[in-house]
Amino acid sequence: MSNAETLFADALERCTALPVVPWLEERRAAAVQAFHAKGVPHRRVEDWKYSDLKTALDGVNDLGSDTIALTVGALPAGVGHFDLADLANAPDWVQAHLGKAAQAGAMAAAALALGHKGFAIRVPKNRHVTAPLNVAVSGAGHARALIVLEEGASLTLIESRDSGAGFSNVAIEAVVGAGAQLTHIRTAAAAPDAIQVEDVAVRVARDASYRAHLFNGGASLSRLNLRLTLKEPGGSAHLSGVSVLGGLHADVTTEVYHASGHTRSEQLFKKVVGGKGRAVYQGRITVAQGADKSDSRQTAKALLMGARAEADLKPELEIFADDVKCAHGAAVGDLDAGALFYLRARGIPETEARNMLVRAFLEEAVDEIANEQIRAAVWHVVEAALPKAMTQ
Amino acid sequence: MLEIKNLHVAVDGKEILKGLTLAIEPGQVHAIMGPNGSGKSTLSYVLAGREGYEITAGSILYNGEDLHGLAPEERAAKGVFLAMQYPVEIPGVTTLTFLKTALNAQRRARGEKELDAMSVLKLVRKKASALKVSEEMLKRALNVGFSGGEKKRLEILQMALFEPKLAILDETDSGLDIDALKVVAEGVNALRSPERAMLVITHYQRLLQYIVPDRIHVLAAGRIVAEGGKELAHELEARGYEHLTGKAA
Repeated sequence: MSNAETLFADALERCTALPVVPWLEERRAAAVQAFHAKGVPHRRVEDWKYSDLKTALDGVNDLGSDTIALTVGALPAGVGHFDLADLANAPDWVQAHLGKAAQAGAMAAAALALGHKGFAIRVPKNRHVTAPLNVAVSGAGHARALIVLEEGASLTLIESRDSGAGFSNVAIEAVVGAGAQLTHIRTAAAAPDAIQVEDVAVRVARDASYRAHLFNGGASLSRLNLRLTLKEPGGSAHLSGVSVLGGLHADVTTEVYHASGHTRSEQLFKKVVGGKGRAVYQGRITVAQGADKSDSRQTAKALLMGARAEADLKPELEIFADDVKCAHGAAVGDLDAGALFYLRARGIPETEARNMLVRAFLEEAVDEIANEQIRAAVWHVVEAALPKAMTQ
Repeated sequence: MLEIKNLHVAVDGKEILKGLTLAIEPGQVHAIMGPNGSGKSTLSYVLAGREGYEITAGSILYNGEDLHGLAPEERAAKGVFLAMQYPVEIPGVTTLTFLKTALNAQRRARGEKELDAMSVLKLVRKKASALKVSEEMLKRALNVGFSGGEKKRLEILQMALFEPKLAILDETDSGLDIDALKVVAEGVNALRSPERAMLVITHYQRLLQYIVPDRIHVLAAGRIVAEGGKELAHELEARGYEHLTGKAA
């Protein structure tokens, strides 16, 4: 057994001592089983080829460290909150949804099986919440979160991951009801001593939308899974993100499942990679049989700042319907020498010119954030990360 | 102002300029004419300091200072301006922001006070109308979606804004219809001054009907093979480059 496997076996052993929560038992048992079946992901598992979690965990001594905290900020009016530490007393809406989407991935299953911290949020029917809800993620360990938007509701969630060390595994489930709109902003600061895994599973109902913008500063190993199901007509997903890596690793893997026709998904990801950094984007779009008139686009581009930087961009399409629109593209390149010369020949010093070009490269993706204040805040984070990523 | 002596330049190890000698005094407009592949663009790039253009022999003196080893931005701040044949499109940078950044970078390098956004806007507006550069163009991303004429007009607007001492115009006529050519030429002529030297690089004599040079140099295979006054352009128009270069242009 590898170090990682031993660690997880110990952790699973310990978690049998957790209090039994009758309504969750079946889902938890299924998660344990799913995790046992899949095991700790490693590079010979196709989806984890560029992010060898098993090897990364070799240096970790203890998975039992349980410092993880998902700190929910001030609750905007009308937003319901439940602390998942108190599972035995979970309200109906938590019982209805928690753990339903956990079995698909080994790590999401592990988070359900092993985590006993986290939060659940509910926005009631037709409630439009304008103030964003902030969630700060810190520490090491497993945690879960559930976000439920009832029919016609709207919410902006701002999730920020700090640069703390250690292994963390977070699984978020979001249920976006008919006509509801969830905007999810995630910023993860550069965390050189952290191994971060996060799984976000979203179910999007009729005429509902999920918009996400993901900033990634990278970690020793950072893996973000975004699994989306557009289950009914009119559902849409809009994913954008920026990874700015000064020598670190960031893997953003998306799976968009067009279960129904008349659904739409768009993705735009940009990466700037400096030093020995490694940016990964894997985007799988599946259009189910009969999901006609669905429309999907994905674009991923990476800018490498030096010879040691690496980007692995892997768009994938699986189409089982006949009448669909799908467009995808990926490109890896260096800073355009012609553009750099043009700016310098007009008097702009090299460093400033490079900055302008990198900013311009990222702008298209950051501009996908509709809210001006949030966009400015994300730019702030991007700019803080840029100097390190601009080194060869 | 500009003194080029026996200049040899190699690109990727291949010699393109093979002993070019040329001198321009302030107030003068010189034209470089020549067939494709004669080294015209190489000359413009080496004057502006583009990477990859290696001076293997000879020298370029600008106001008595050797340009060799100076970065493009240093040359720009000292008053060297190259209007490019193919202005680069830069998505994500608005034209006005670019103009402000460039102008202030040059001013900063010269130890002059930077201008605030309002002052830059006023200055740009003053110069833009004569060149038919619209407000809308200034708001767009730099050169993105600009027509050939718009791109060249923007190049000349920059020249008007930066007020260089030495302006090099590389194939500024390429891709322009006659109306656009007139606007651009008028813009250039308005910038002729006793303190400023210009080097107009072109394949065709058409541009030189509108920007009348003091002197014409014919470049072929990396060397100046003929020189003369403005009448040389007409001769080239009538007889082509062939009789000067010994081969078909």
